[in-house]
Order: sequence, then structure tokens, then C-alpha cells
Amino acid sequence: MNEQPVMMFKDVVKVYPLPSGDVTALDGINFKVERGEFISIMGPSGSGKSTLLNLMGCLDTPTSGDIYISGTRTGDMSDKELTELRRDRIGFIFQYFNLFPLLNIIENVTFPMMLKSQKTVDPEKARAMLRSVQLDDSLFTHTPMEVSGGQQQRVAVARALINDPDILLCDEPTGNLDSKTGAGIMELMSELNRKGTTIIMVTHDPNIAKYSRRTILIADGRIVE
Amino acid sequence: MIFWEIAKRNIRIHLLRSTLAMLGIVIGVVAIASMGILGNTLVSTVSENLNSVGDSITVTPYSGGGGGMRGPPGGSSGSNLKLTDQNFQQIKRVVAPNVAIPVYQTAEHMKIGVGSDDIVASIYGLPPDDVPSLMKLQAGDYNNGNSGVLIGSTFAKDHNLKVGSRISIGTDGSKGTLRVTGIIEERGMSFDISTDNALVVTQEWFENTYNRNSDYDSVVVKVKDGDTASVKTAIEKQLNKSKDNKIVSVMDSKATLATIYSTFGMVTTFVTAIGGISMVVAGVSIFNIMMMSVNERIKEIGIMRSIGTQKREVMSMFIYEAAIIGVVGSIVGGILSIVAGYLISALMLNSTKYLFTVANALSVAEGVCFGIMVCLACGIYPAWQGANLNPIDALRHE
Repeated sequence: MNEQPVMMFKDVVKVYPLPSGDVTALDGINFKVERGEFISIMGPSGSGKSTLLNLMGCLDTPTSGDIYISGTRTGDMSDKELTELRRDRIGFIFQYFNLFPLLNIIENVTFPMMLKSQKTVDPEKARAMLRSVQLDDSLFTHTPMEVSGGQQQRVAVARALINDPDILLCDEPTGNLDSKTGAGIMELMSELNRKGTTIIMVTHDPNIAKYSRRTILIADGRIVE
Repeated sequence: MIFWEIAKRNIRIHLLRSTLAMLGIVIGVVAIASMGILGNTLVSTVSENLNSVGDSITVTPYSGGGGGMRGPPGGSSGSNLKLTDQNFQQIKRVVAPNVAIPVYQTAEHMKIGVGSDDIVASIYGLPPDDVPSLMKLQAGDYNNGNSGVLIGSTFAKDHNLKVGSRISIGTDGSKGTLRVTGIIEERGMSFDISTDNALVVTQEWFENTYNRNSDYDSVVVKVKDGDTASVKTAIEKQLNKSKDNKIVSVMDSKATLATIYSTFGMVTTFVTAIGGISMVVAGVSIFNIMMMSVNERIKEIGIMRSIGTQKREVMSMFIYEAAIIGVVGSIVGGILSIVAGYLISALMLNSTKYLFTVANALSVAEGVCFGIMVCLACGIYPAWQGANLNPIDALRHE
């Protein structure tokens, strides 16, 4: 069993150079995420949540400090290596679902599998994954626009999990859903976490944050709690 | 692969836009390929007329002009410049074993039938034994004798003459009447003698009628092994002893043909290049459409990149889209260019005989390949731009 933390931030600083002066979005961030954790990251608008999420998702690189994903330091990685890391070890769930409108539901879920295998894949794993997020078989060949928001988010969860990632990164996963549907999605998240999936969720909603087992509070680019 | 499928679906969703882009490529390919076909067909048609004289050399008296290409010796009859029998004998010796044929030529009034109008046509006087090596007959025979005449096919057709018809030579028939014994096959444009609209009489009749004696208008040399250049050089070396003492002008029909073909080649290239302008316009259209496609899908690119799609894979998706437009448009353009080539050849050259040739197939293939290459080239930058978008900015894009 891998004893390394799934994610570790070490003195991470992120500065955006602007013509009007440098803006420090994150200032000396240190934390660890152990395998199987369910963490909420909360903070007011402009506190650095999105920057933190981008760094955790390897979409951005820190100005200084080190980020480790399952023990691998990301600082020296090329764009190609970072892309492979996102593909193989990180699953993304977005507020606006972000499914591909040109692909049907089963194709949306098999898309990351194809990126990984570079060839045609067996859709049976995708079907099983969609069933595990409680999506009805009859919807598999529909396009994303033909199903509800809650169903779209379930597809997004299935897509994020299809390559068996180490971490599931969620950006306001219920932000675009009504409270009942949102609660359904959070129940699904909790269920996934109970089965061993590591989840890091950015949210500003304390009721949603209650589903997690640990909360990191961030303000002015620093972890305050 | 999934990116190929996405490219196909995006084209299907924006069918009108994609069809218009393809139409641009179709027009470009048709313009390039049909211009190429026209040029090739033109060269083939002209070649057919010129090849028969591709092995001859024409020697005329040096007129002191600036050199260059001389026409057939049509205008020399009125000139005082003649080739002497000594000149002819020198030429004959130099070119042996090739045949040297002395040529008399003049323009003469004549009447065809009683009460007909006076017409003027060229008359050539040739040694009867050499006539078969210069021309073929479509009717009658070579044995015209001193009272017989061979006539060109166009002349026969225009004046409704047949073997056995009679022509009165000279104003009011003052130089006698000749009977048509043969009709010469059409020779087309030629550098030695142009017989299509002329009469050919015996050397003896010409000398007696026009009081000429071994003062020739020109000498035609038929080169058997095709090496006209060395024969030309030999004649010039023998007769033109120095730069200031030139006696003859020597025209090598093969070299002239090469110049003509080269000129046709340049014309073909030029008109094809004009066709290429429409391809450039089509390319700009493809570029514009691909940029639109990228701009419409910035968010999609952001999602793709964030879940692990490599830059080259994003690029491939847009390149596939440009390739589909290019391949379909170019193939349709290739097919239509054959139709256009057929129509142009039929309407402008009155012949489609040379439509299905290797050269024309190459022209169509070039047009198709060029169309595909233009599409790919115009798709590369938008694809590269899309692939290199910052994933964070792309994800935030609305």
C-alpha cells in the first residue's frame, strides 16, 4: 500500500504579476491530504480558493514552493507530463458539469479512457460506472443537453472516476443544482468517499461542507484553520 | 479515434458553414485544374500540327535582320534575295545523307472555273521526286507532270475542288491551265512550306512559267535522325563564313518547337497561377472558419485540457476538421474540373480528343493535392492556437 500523502503542499506561493503591481494569491500554503480523506476548502471570494484548486489540479504552477501528487513533485514536470498526471491521477468535477455537447453520455464517460489507452475502449466499464452513480441505462445514448442538471453532474462524476484517479477535485459541485438534487450529488460523494475515493471540494456553502470530514479555511491567500 | 468523430460531428452541426468553406475549395481546385487541362490540351493540339515538321530545317537567304524566328518563306518571293545553285549544292553536300529540297515560291492570281472571281494563292515549285518526302496526299497521286498541280486540303475545300478540277493560273489564265492531280493532306502550321492553302507545281513548270533558273527562295532539309541542331550548325559553318559575311539564315524547326512548347508551358503556368488566386481566397475562408471553430469551442478546449487531453490531440481535432473540408472539397473540385476541362476544350478548342491524358490527370491530381494542402495549412495555425490556450483561461471562457 502506498503510504505517501495523496497530495502535499510545501510553502506554496503564487504571485500574479500585474502592471499595477504583483498580486499574491497564495502565501505560504502547507497541507497534506491523506488517502481516503474528504476535505472541503472554504473561504470568501478572492481568498485564493480557485488558485489553490488550479494548483491542486496541475492546471497552474506555483511561483515558489513544492506540490507533490502521490509523492511525485510536479514543479519540474513538462506540460505533457502534467497533462498525463491530470489524465491518470486526478478527476475533475465542475460547477457547470462541463460535459462535451458533441458526445453522448457514454462517449463522455469513455473519453478519458480513450485518452489513456489511445485506442478504442470497451464501453462496459463506462456503463458500470454510470450505473454506480445511479444513472438509468436508457439515458446512456442521450446527449448531455437531453438530461437534467443532476443527471449531467452524475455523468461528470462518472467521467471523473473512470480512470481510477487518486484524487477527485470538485469545484462547487452543487453550485448549479437545486438543493434536493445537490443533496443527492453530495450523498453520492459521501458514498464514493466511504468506498475509498479521496475527495477535495471547494465550496462556499457550509451546508455542503458538512458532508466532508475536514475543512480547510482560507483567507487572503493563507490557511487560517 | 474520438477526435476524428468530434471533428465530423462539428462539421455536421455547422453544415452550412462547412459547405460554404468546401465550396471555396471546390472553386479553387476547379480553377487550377481546369486551367491546367486547358493548357495541356492546347499544347497537345498544337503539337499534333507541329510534330510533322519537327525534323526539318529551313534555309533562306540572309536578309541582314536581327535574326530570331523567321516565318515560312512566304514573303521571299517578292524579295531579290535568293539562294544560288551553288548555295544549294553546298547545303546538299553538308547535309548529306539527309535530303535537301530546293523550293521556289510565289503568290499568283488564278481563277477556278469559268466566270469565277480572281483569287490569289501561294504556288510552290518543287522537284517532283522530293514531294513525297515533304507531304502526304489524301486523294490522287504525286505524278502531276507539267500540266498537273497538287492542291492543299483547305484550298480544295474552300473552292470545292476535286482531283481532275482545273485551275487557270495568272490573270485571265495567262500562265496556262493546270489540272488537279492530287489533294495534299492537312499539314497545319509548319515551318518549311505551308501547303494547306497553296498549290504545288513541278520545279520545271515553275522555272519555265516564271523565268527562274536555280535561284531558290529557300531550301528545306529533312533530317532523318532527328539531330537538327548539328545539321543547322554544319550549314551555318559552311555558308556563313564570318559574322559580317552571312549568306543564309537557318531555322531549326525542332528548336523553334521547343521554344513554342516552353512558351505554352509558361502560359499554362500563368493561367494556373491565376486559378491559384481563387485557392488563396478559399484558404482565407478556411482559415476564418477554423478560427471561428476554435473561438466557439474555447471552453470545450479548456475542459479537454483539464481532464488530460494533450495539446497535440486538441490540434489533431481541428486539423481533422480542416482535412475533411479539404479532402471532400478537393475531390468534388477534381471531379468538376474534369467536367469544366471538357467544356472549355470543347468550346475553345473544338476538340476533347486530348482530355484524358496523363498530363491532364496530373493537373487534376495537382489541383486536388493543392486544395488539401491549402486546407491543412490554413487549419494549422487556428489548431495550434486552440491547443496552446491556457486551460485555466479557457475553462473560465463563457
